[in-house]
Amino acid sequence: MIQLILFLSLGAALLLSLGFFMRPRRAEGGSTALVHARQALSTLQGGLLPADMVARVFDRADLDYVESQGSPELQRLFLDERKRVALLWVSRVREQLVSLREFHAGSARFYAQLNPLTELSLLFDFSRLLLACRMLQVFVFLRGPYAAPRIVGATAATAAKVCNVSQESLAFLTPAYAAAGGKHAAQTARF
Amino acid sequence: MDVLQAADDLRRRSLVNYPRPLDRLIYLASMRDYNTGIYHHDGLASRYSPEVACEAMADCHKEAFRQLVSNSLEELVGQLEAYMASTHTSPTDFIAAWKGLEPYRVAVPVESDPLAAQFLFSTFKVALAILESRLHPSPAAAPAA
Repeated sequence: MIQLILFLSLGAALLLSLGFFMRPRRAEGGSTALVHARQALSTLQGGLLPADMVARVFDRADLDYVESQGSPELQRLFLDERKRVALLWVSRVREQLVSLREFHAGSARFYAQLNPLTELSLLFDFSRLLLACRMLQVFVFLRGPYAAPRIVGATAATAAKVCNVSQESLAFLTPAYAAAGGKHAAQTARF
Repeated sequence: MDVLQAADDLRRRSLVNYPRPLDRLIYLASMRDYNTGIYHHDGLASRYSPEVACEAMADCHKEAFRQLVSNSLEELVGQLEAYMASTHTSPTDFIAAWKGLEPYRVAVPVESDPLAAQFLFSTFKVALAILESRLHPSPAAAPAA
């Protein structure tokens, strides 16, 4: 009897999982999600993730220069200011990643046919990134802007990778792609 | 194409007089109407068109902003010091005005990334504090050799 209940529970769980993964994606609100995703992608790629910008925000050479001035007040001011900017960077990266994740969790599959493995990999990357952002926020808040350079580098690199996948998902929105008769042209028309 | 030519023209004729990104940023911001955000340059507009001139100036403004953001704190301090000297204002008055009015906040291009703008404002704040500390050095804060 117990075995039967276990089997039935397992079967029900499997059916529910299958239903969840195979459920049709809603198109409602799709245009808003697309606009938000496009904006998030543009902000990440154009403003937050370029290597030179990340390098400038977390540049130790600036700290060395301030230290060479020999004033504790200046050093304190600099560290406070850089900490504020570093926290702003992390929170903005996180905010844009959440927006992109919502797009992928919601309407991305409706517009862009990503294979399940890519979707799973993306899901994993988003979770890892959001966790890394939270960790960075704590580290920077407690120990200053130079507390975790490796996490900064890894976060920026993974976020750039996720952006590339998202860019492919949103490629059908670009005029060049439509002109080339991209495989999602019909879906663009639907949008 | 016209915009690229106009921008190149602007760099060769006008911006050549402003070798530092900070000077270029301030010059280009001063050519922009605060109410409309439109850039005006009579010479450039007469050679091309007001629209093309405006777009070329906006591009050069963004370029100067990007260059300034990519400069180190030390470079910004140097540029600020040179700019201060070029204004022939007393350093004390200049620093007091810049700390109080924060004119750099209105000198950035309209479509600047907010983080880059915040980063630049923050760097200006520190650069001004460094220049101020040089005016009134405390005995404990003598710069290291």
